[in-house]
Amino acid sequence: MLTTGTNGKPGNTWRRVAYYKGCLASLSAKELDTSTIALARKLGLELEALESVTCCGAGDIHEAEPDYYLHLNARILSYAEATGSDTLMTVCNVCTLNLRQANWQLQKDEELLERVNRNLETVGVPAYSGSVEVKHLLWLIAEGEGYERLKQAAHKGLKGLRVAPFYGCQILRPSKLLGFEDPDRPWSLEAIIEACGGEPVDYPAKIKCCGFPIIQAREETALGELIQPIEQAQEAGADAMVTPCPLCHLSLDAWQSKLKAATGKDFSMPILHLSQLIGVAAGLEASELKFKRHVVSVEPMLEKLEV
Amino acid sequence: MSIGTEITGGSAPEPTMEVAIKIWRYDSQTGERALKLYEVEAPEWACLLDVLDIIKDRVDGTLAYRKSCRMMICGSCGMRMDGGAVLACKERMKPIVDRGHVPVISAMGNMPIVKDLVVDMDPFWSKIRAMKPWLQPGYQEPPEREYLASQEQMNPIHKEALCIMCGCCVSECNSMESDPDFLGPAALAKGFRFVGDPRDGADIERLNEYNSEHGIWDCTRCYFCNERCPKGVDPRDAIAKLGAESVRQGIDHDLGAKHAKWFVTSTKTTGWLRETELVPKTQGIVSAIKQTKFALGLARRGKVPLPFPPHVAEEVREARALHDLLKEQNRRGAAGIVQGERGLARIERTDEGGAKRDIAEITPGEEPAAAGS
Ligand code: SF4
Ligand code: SF4
Ligand code: FES
Repeated sequence: MLTTGTNGKPGNTWRRVAYYKGCLASLSAKELDTSTIALARKLGLELEALESVTCCGAGDIHEAEPDYYLHLNARILSYAEATGSDTLMTVCNVCTLNLRQANWQLQKDEELLERVNRNLETVGVPAYSGSVEVKHLLWLIAEGEGYERLKQAAHKGLKGLRVAPFYGCQILRPSKLLGFEDPDRPWSLEAIIEACGGEPVDYPAKIKCCGFPIIQAREETALGELIQPIEQAQEAGADAMVTPCPLCHLSLDAWQSKLKAATGKDFSMPILHLSQLIGVAAGLEASELKFKRHVVSVEPMLEKLEV
Repeated sequence: MSIGTEITGGSAPEPTMEVAIKIWRYDSQTGERALKLYEVEAPEWACLLDVLDIIKDRVDGTLAYRKSCRMMICGSCGMRMDGGAVLACKERMKPIVDRGHVPVISAMGNMPIVKDLVVDMDPFWSKIRAMKPWLQPGYQEPPEREYLASQEQMNPIHKEALCIMCGCCVSECNSMESDPDFLGPAALAKGFRFVGDPRDGADIERLNEYNSEHGIWDCTRCYFCNERCPKGVDPRDAIAKLGAESVRQGIDHDLGAKHAKWFVTSTKTTGWLRETELVPKTQGIVSAIKQTKFALGLARRGKVPLPFPPHVAEEVREARALHDLLKEQNRRGAAGIVQGERGLARIERTDEGGAKRDIAEITPGEEPAAAGS
């Protein structure tokens, strides 16, 4: 049912967390999964990957069948709890909001928790007691011991590479459910870029939407959103952008060609997952970073670093 | 004593503070704009609106802004502070002064500026009106007895009924920036206020209208509306409730609804979202073919998993069984979201997050929008 992925070197382990990959890292953004696992090993973060879980439903099941959304997420939380860890680590904004929202709903309402648990048990899932906290990888390494370990691991540095942080929406808002940092003036990605020896580039759209949720149903509106961060990051002189969300990544990376077709502007802006950016500074292998899976070439950035 | 003209009253002098704010002044007649610094003495209890009153009374009488109730009821005083929409009468200045911060005040976004901090709310009102914001009970003559709605029946629209129509949620709405015709958070929250009302008999009609091109499926889920709303309406959640009701009622002609429904199918069959199948399921076969070249480009990079063999999550059986089980329970549609609200209302809000770093040099949205945009 659960595969135990122990990857911390003995004696080096700093903490052990349950790891929820989500759809993207499991399927179309495998590079996020491989770089996260490799990075965690360097940081002494022991990951226990949940394998028997489903998609969190993104915003879609929450909108189409919200009761099912709640139960799917409760099921994920229950299997995270079964690992014995108090933390469920996510690597996607949307998973983070979905799981945190469901978790709050259950933790703060005994009656609801009871109802959901009855249903879980009926289909053979262990009841959830509410002991897990959902945290994005970003939050684990932006402060405290995680940040110290990150600084040590990022020994190769980024040689002052100009990196534009792109937060996306659902790791910031609604802050009532996320609450790690000020949603209008976040600092965590900048802190990490600095720790890796890069230079954070500031621009207003770093906290705005990438357009992904409506990119299929309302392409034009979505592209109107997508262009803002890429254009502003380029004007601010960024060599690359980094994001903690694989959906933002997909939008920024894969849909850049559509932006080009629609506006004639060729940005050729390399887009990195958070774990890849740190991975470059930490000297991860090409087979772990898997840049070949990107649509926009990362080569120009790597050449600057002479990697 | 009239507040703003008399800052000390009674016997003991009130403690005061030196407040500095910058205001984006704007004149739509001449197109002139300027960021001006104002420094005034204000009582320690002053909110942003009090400070604006003091500036208008003592420094510059030409400063334009809206106000009425001064107590978060009328919805007149929406404006941006450091790029984010707030009610001026709700924002206490003391903590900001103590931090040594000089906030930048500007007009709300997504609405044309008339002068300084006053925006033209006509587009806002016309979208609210488009929702037919009145009860349509489905009869001309009221029955003998008035319709009695229990508290329990009214609870599902409790949050939406709190709206004071200030426009703060619209100010940073990302979809509206890109599609100005998007009905937007305030209007759609108003829509659910009626769809969810047990006394209204026009649900299906309303849902069909709100499922239009610029309706509920235009929302990009940026959550700026929930973040900004000063009354806890959570318009994004109201939009999700409308989506859930639409799907429950079988109103799923919109691509957005099809997309949402496909996620449900995915979890029941493979456990994970199968992106290759998403395009045809969402857009139909003809537009899917148009997307093929793009999709093949993605497939070459492994961005799209091949449909065979399906990535079956272990024990997807449990997810399927859950789905079947829930069908028999009475929480379909918006009720599935409403049931979670009690727990969410118990979260204590902490505002500590922001204190970790100084205010950044660039403040999003600092520049007012161009005239008439
Ligand atoms: S939903 Fe909230 S922010 Fe929007 S108009 Fe109503 S009260 Fe104002
Ligand atoms: S969540 Fe939707 S309605 Fe709310 S601000 Fe974002 S795009 Fe607009
Ligand atoms: S003046 Fe009425 S809400 Fe602020």
